[in-house]
Amino acid sequence: MTALVVRNIVRFLFLVLFQVLILNNINLGGYTNPYLYIYFVLLLPFATPRWMLLLLAFFLGIAIDLFTNTLGLNAAATVLMAFSRPYIIRAISREPEEELGIQPSLRIQGFTWFFFYALFLILIHHFALFYLEILRFTEFFQTLLRVITSTAFTLALVFLSELLFYSRGSTKR
Amino acid sequence: MRNLFLFFRKHYFIFIFLFLEVVSLVLFFRNNTFQNAVMFDWTSGISGGINSTYRDISEYFSLKRTNFILGEENATLHARMPEAIYLADTTISSRNDTLFQSEYRFINARVISNTTNRRNNYLMINKGTLQGVEPHMGVIIGDKIVGQVVNVSRHFSWALSILHKESTISAKFLKNNQLVSVEWPGGDCRTGLAREIPKHLRVSPGDTVVTSGNSEVFPNGILIGIIDKLNDQEDENFNTATLTFLTDFNGLGYVEVVVDMFKEEKEQLKASFKEL
Repeated sequence: MTALVVRNIVRFLFLVLFQVLILNNINLGGYTNPYLYIYFVLLLPFATPRWMLLLLAFFLGIAIDLFTNTLGLNAAATVLMAFSRPYIIRAISREPEEELGIQPSLRIQGFTWFFFYALFLILIHHFALFYLEILRFTEFFQTLLRVITSTAFTLALVFLSELLFYSRGSTKR
Repeated sequence: MRNLFLFFRKHYFIFIFLFLEVVSLVLFFRNNTFQNAVMFDWTSGISGGINSTYRDISEYFSLKRTNFILGEENATLHARMPEAIYLADTTISSRNDTLFQSEYRFINARVISNTTNRRNNYLMINKGTLQGVEPHMGVIIGDKIVGQVVNVSRHFSWALSILHKESTISAKFLKNNQLVSVEWPGGDCRTGLAREIPKHLRVSPGDTVVTSGNSEVFPNGILIGIIDKLNDQEDENFNTATLTFLTDFNGLGYVEVVVDMFKEEKEQLKASFKEL
């Protein structure tokens, strides 16, 4: 239990720094950029109390916002994503949440489950983030393109991280 | 009362969600208020410190380029030295201080955080109120435009890049002083859009667009971009034109903050004009 908490705290700090110092400087094809920091919300244990889920997402978003001078923007998108998480899990799982294991993982729940789980949540987050950022509908399709390409980018990074860090020994978690 | 309590307990997830969402959105939409400035003052201590360290390291990788830019600037400055000017007429060499009072002062600053890949881009620089930076001051690099200061703490400031949806620059064509406005439509950080070009105006690719000096933010004649292509808007009163920015927004290292020495005087004049 303690190990699980410590691992999540370390992951929180690492992802925030990785996002603001490295990923925020990445720019593919003009204006596609990944938001891997939400990987933290994706990986929170199933047993996380729901209020804590929302609060952690809120603080994660605020932490990112402080570095980009967009106070509230990432927080709003991340809280929305955390709010949708239980519903997405319920919608795509056959067994109840308690029987799914300790935390979402590519290894344990399998490719299809994890793919749709990550895809839907990343889409929700990116939709909220990009449309809140522009707040006008004149650039609707341009922004939609940004949402789609950035989602693909983030999703690829999430899978890469899964394969890199959780391929071995993930059954323990 | 008990029912209300039960109702709240049953749906607490939604209530907490709504509460946090409202907090976030309020923070987001009040992004320019006093509270934010106070917040910024203490949070910039942390984020500014981390960003500075990061820049200290990453700066080594662009030393060659920085040297090149500094060398170029040195050459330009040498060319302006009195020794470099051939005096055809001795009367212009004397400089009278009361006549040539300098209108602008420049504060050199280092960019410690910068984005170009969002719809709304900002840059953080390592000078703040202690060095005399104030909100609404312009930011330039050499003789090219960069942005405008929006938020200031003691040691750091956030500047709104030209690459922002709220940024509209009062500009003009260098060749005939015709006023236009320049915006960034999003997308590529090298392309901007000149709007409100009068129909009668002949615009050709290669025309230079500079700041007009009409606002107190930028001096007259700071370079913005070169016209690429005129878009004829048949059903509107004005044409637009795409332009290529001269500033390399992705490679900003050192910038200068523009201090208008006559800002107060200009503002007082404006205020007194309204009272009539």
